[in-house]
Amino acid sequence: MLGDFEYVRAQTTADACRRLKEEGDRAVAYAGGTDLLVDIRNGVRAPKLLVDIKGIEALTRVRARNGTLLLGAAVMLNRVAEDASIRDRLPALSEAAVSIATYQLRNRATIGGNLCNASPASDSIPPLLIAGASLHIVGPEGERDVPLGEFCTGVKTTCLECGEIVTEIRIPTIEEGARTAFVKQQRIRGHDLAVVNLAGAYLPSDEAVRIAVGSCSPTPLLLEAIDGRSHDPAAIAEEAIRLADASASPISDVRASAEYRRAVLPVLIRRLVARLFDPQGGA
Amino acid sequence: MRDLKYVGKGVSREDAVDKVSGAARYTHDLIVPGMLHAAIVRSPHASARIVSIETDAAEAVPGVRVILTGSGLCYQLGLYMQDKCILARDVVRYQGEAVVAVAADTLDIARAACRLIEVEYEPIDAVLDPQEAMKDGVHLVHPDLGLYEHMKGVFFPKAGTNIAHHQKIRKGDFDDAFANADVTLTAEFYNPPVQHAPMETHATIAQVLPGDRVELWTSSQSPYTVRHLMSVAFGLPHASIRVHVPYVGGGFGGKAGLGLEPLAYVLSKAADGRPVKVVATREEEFNTLPSRQGLHATIEIGCSNDGKIEALKSTYVWDAGAYADYGVNIGRAAAYSGAGPYSVPNCWIDSYVVYTNKIFGTAFRGFGHLEVLWGVERAIDQMARKLDMDPAEFRRLNLLKEGDETITGEAFTSGHGDPVGCLDAAAEAIGWGTPSARPSDASKVRGKGIAALHKAPAMPTYTSCAAVIKLDEDGGADVLISGVDYGQGTYTVLRQIAAEELRIPIERVHVTWDCDTAFSPYDWQTVASRFAYMGGNAVIEAAADCLRQIRETAGRALDVSPEKIVCEDAAAYAKGKPESRIPYEKLALGYTFPNGNSIGGPVIGHGRFIATGLTHLDPETGQGLPAQYWTYGAHAVEIEVDTETGEIELLKIATAIDAGKVLNPKLATGQVVGGVVQGLGSALWEGFQFDENGRFLNPSFTDYKIPTAKDLPRETEQIFLEAPQPDGPYGARGIAEHPMISVPSAIGNALYDALGIEFAELPLNVERVLLRILEERSGKG
Amino acid sequence: MHTITFHVNGASQTVHVAATTTLLELLRDRLQLTGTKEGCGIGECGACTVLLDGAPVTSCLVLAVEVDGRSVETIEGEAKDGQLSALQQAFIDAGAVQCGFCTPGMIMSARGLLQRNPNPSDEEIVEAIAGNLCRCTGYEAVVDAIAAAARSSEAPRLLEDDDPAGGADA
Repeated sequence: MLGDFEYVRAQTTADACRRLKEEGDRAVAYAGGTDLLVDIRNGVRAPKLLVDIKGIEALTRVRARNGTLLLGAAVMLNRVAEDASIRDRLPALSEAAVSIATYQLRNRATIGGNLCNASPASDSIPPLLIAGASLHIVGPEGERDVPLGEFCTGVKTTCLECGEIVTEIRIPTIEEGARTAFVKQQRIRGHDLAVVNLAGAYLPSDEAVRIAVGSCSPTPLLLEAIDGRSHDPAAIAEEAIRLADASASPISDVRASAEYRRAVLPVLIRRLVARLFDPQGGA
Repeated sequence: MRDLKYVGKGVSREDAVDKVSGAARYTHDLIVPGMLHAAIVRSPHASARIVSIETDAAEAVPGVRVILTGSGLCYQLGLYMQDKCILARDVVRYQGEAVVAVAADTLDIARAACRLIEVEYEPIDAVLDPQEAMKDGVHLVHPDLGLYEHMKGVFFPKAGTNIAHHQKIRKGDFDDAFANADVTLTAEFYNPPVQHAPMETHATIAQVLPGDRVELWTSSQSPYTVRHLMSVAFGLPHASIRVHVPYVGGGFGGKAGLGLEPLAYVLSKAADGRPVKVVATREEEFNTLPSRQGLHATIEIGCSNDGKIEALKSTYVWDAGAYADYGVNIGRAAAYSGAGPYSVPNCWIDSYVVYTNKIFGTAFRGFGHLEVLWGVERAIDQMARKLDMDPAEFRRLNLLKEGDETITGEAFTSGHGDPVGCLDAAAEAIGWGTPSARPSDASKVRGKGIAALHKAPAMPTYTSCAAVIKLDEDGGADVLISGVDYGQGTYTVLRQIAAEELRIPIERVHVTWDCDTAFSPYDWQTVASRFAYMGGNAVIEAAADCLRQIRETAGRALDVSPEKIVCEDAAAYAKGKPESRIPYEKLALGYTFPNGNSIGGPVIGHGRFIATGLTHLDPETGQGLPAQYWTYGAHAVEIEVDTETGEIELLKIATAIDAGKVLNPKLATGQVVGGVVQGLGSALWEGFQFDENGRFLNPSFTDYKIPTAKDLPRETEQIFLEAPQPDGPYGARGIAEHPMISVPSAIGNALYDALGIEFAELPLNVERVLLRILEERSGKG
Repeated sequence: MHTITFHVNGASQTVHVAATTTLLELLRDRLQLTGTKEGCGIGECGACTVLLDGAPVTSCLVLAVEVDGRSVETIEGEAKDGQLSALQQAFIDAGAVQCGFCTPGMIMSARGLLQRNPNPSDEEIVEAIAGNLCRCTGYEAVVDAIAAAARSSEAPRLLEDDDPAGGADA
């Protein structure tokens, strides 16, 4: 393809960080490539070095440690969709993963790649926001953990510094009896980017409902926790709609108008909340 | 009457074997030794003067061999209207137009060179809306329109305007009939431009040979049209142009005329005869290569109280885009079909094909009929409701019947087919008359809709097809024909017909896959749903010619007159004496007597079919005989609408088409299902989006959504009627385009049934549907 | 330049490739396996689908250097010893092939499906081929073909251990 880059396979995280730091802007971490290679093909990005991180064993594990689920950044989306431990803990993420792109693309695209691409319409960010996930970031100078809500800083921008890569997504324990769900409005039933997407969680211990709204602001938004004690889906949904309306700022783009997004957002919120309180829906 | 062995059976495609193995080679796959690869620079502006083109940096890239701009290419191209240049010259007329072309050793080098080319533009006025473009004093897309060569007597460009053609139908006295009608209605409708989106993008390899000859391999529907237009454009004798068409990955009309062939040719010429391969990227397929024209329609209908259509007037304003070559013919054809399959005693149609500074249109499956019937079939439904009549009943009353006339004055006979039968069959298949069940989900509503369709092949009055059949040494047969099978399966049908007529087991009959103008006999173009009909007839005649030769030789061999020779099961024998049997392999290359004397010779039969009895349309009244035959049909749908999101799901779609004779049920079913799904795309999701400067916004599958396997109706049903076409092969008529034609209108009608809302604009996407629902609700609040 | 050694349809290949070469380019241009097609170049249409270690991927978005040490299956490897597979035959019999350009990618997606799920439901078939665009057939016959192939008596070819009993029969 048209491009002017070299390729190197990083063996370890430290190796990857070192190379990325050395090359600075000229190098980029290469995971699934489903966004990166398209950008290179279209002349939107022109890196000189691709540092392949898919082979770093630490980035491809799914494991639990002290109750936290550690999801390797280079785990492919099909695996995220099919993994039983993810489905047990956060089914909203499994649903979101399976809604992304196509089966073939999900055999390449990774969860870390989807997060680092930081599209306002990312499907994986809302479920991880409601789960209170944080990203473990490793760089040449050390390691840090960043809550997902602080990771995305704007449209397609993140707080990653030069030489840093996300190694793991850390999903805290979600209490027994919690229900989570994901909804997505597309233009067509076939694979599509979201026009509006939402994730929600009902947490029985503090009777709170948490909702994250995607595609309606520069980065997906986690709404304030909503008091769920009424157990009344309609009332809870109305509160969520009020909160979403106050903070969402949908735009018009080639996919949909702001007007349509504003019109369908409350509908999806009601449906999401209904699923959270319906014993059959969510999980 | 002999039972048919092959015709009418679901014979599998022979070409499917190559296709499922990866052995089928498409133009995309071909390599010619020494080949260069081409890439193009596209205009970012809808309308601009080209001030300068800087190519020094590009020329310096190692491996770049040729760089061409429009200023060196003073050729004017077109079949019906010669308004197109190969690369933009002096001005660009649409965003996406090819401005510079580079040929290099590799595709990457060509593309890298393109990125180094600097073009300076001076944007000028653009006209983006066709209705605007018709007004006085607006920017002229083609100021020299009056000087362009065009097919005189058939097309009428208006010099000094943006009107490339104006087709008129004037039958009876519309004004009077409309003024006196009991009930009238006026409505407007709109279709955006859409793309064929074949899975194989356009591709051509051209090699200029010594002596000013050229050899082309191209993904095309029409090798002979390519040859002819190249001859006219470049002043080359036909015999010096050779066109090969290998496997083609879909066309749908987009590959009907000239595509990349002229560009590939001039690049090869500039490269001293090195072959040059030009392949459109998917973005270029959307943004540079032609589309289906947009249409704005205004329809007025006047009826009597008892439901008879007395008067119909349509004004069609076609958005031809920057070049109108094919567009003018669509404007013409849609006009003569423009009142739908109904008896309309007083009809007035103005069909304007109008230039705008947008991607240009070309033939597209349905040739204007989907666009026209979106308006007509929706207006018909509206009129039915105004009359308080059931829409199916209203149609039944007005559909053409024996004794009626079309709007061009053609008499309707039973040989035309059975439009009422199709309507009834489709209606019954969805339980028309029984309201839909109420969905349990309160946010959903259901509705049913019905729409009729018709189309005749839109083709010149001299359209013809020829076929050659040669027998093989082993008594099998090969059919040579240059219509193209780009997926529709016609070669399989022709194989069935040849085997049937020749009396040879089908395993030993083959249709030679590749078309080559050097040895495949002439065919006009593979468009218009005419190939099975004309090719079938040509093959029947060619087979008869082979049998005549076989009978003559066998007669001499058996010392009986040829009329007494019976041909059966790849052998000939004297009537009443089956033991005298001579197998074809002993006749295929002539017959040798026991003493060594030989008679006859290689058996080669030829057949042909030419359109008969067609006339030009009167320039003032549109009266005449444009249609070789008509195919009628109907769609009926039941839909479910999510009133909170605007999503439409098809619960069922039934399509009834009068095929005359179903030559192959498996292929016919495939045509219908495929056409319906393509029609669904036009109905629910597809349409070009432009910004206020005419820049194309969705030139990829990311944002131009075509149906996937997840988007299918829950149930589809295909119904074939068989009222024979008197002059069709085995009574068959064409059905290729028809399955998509009234899908959007049936859905639009069902949407009214479900929501009580009239939709006038396509596509009926979630946004349009939901925002209208909310608008209607708040209007009532 | 990178030297890679990998298996294509069971045969070992060693080639030198630039980092920028995609797997699709490697297959079509270098190895002249033109059965795999390019339909869009951005992973949206599925025409370039191959199996990479048994997993369906769009080869236009895989770099050739990444297949070092791995195994690639293309449409050219679907038939064995000159015999069409049950899947290929099912496509022919069901009328699931029209222009044929999407067919190789469609069959590879189906092959991947049947390897991981020998008895797929219609919904699972649709999900597996939803990333393969077809403009001709309207998909119904394709779904029918894959379902018929699943039901056929051919033992699905398992990627890893062969079932000593000869494979599951539908």
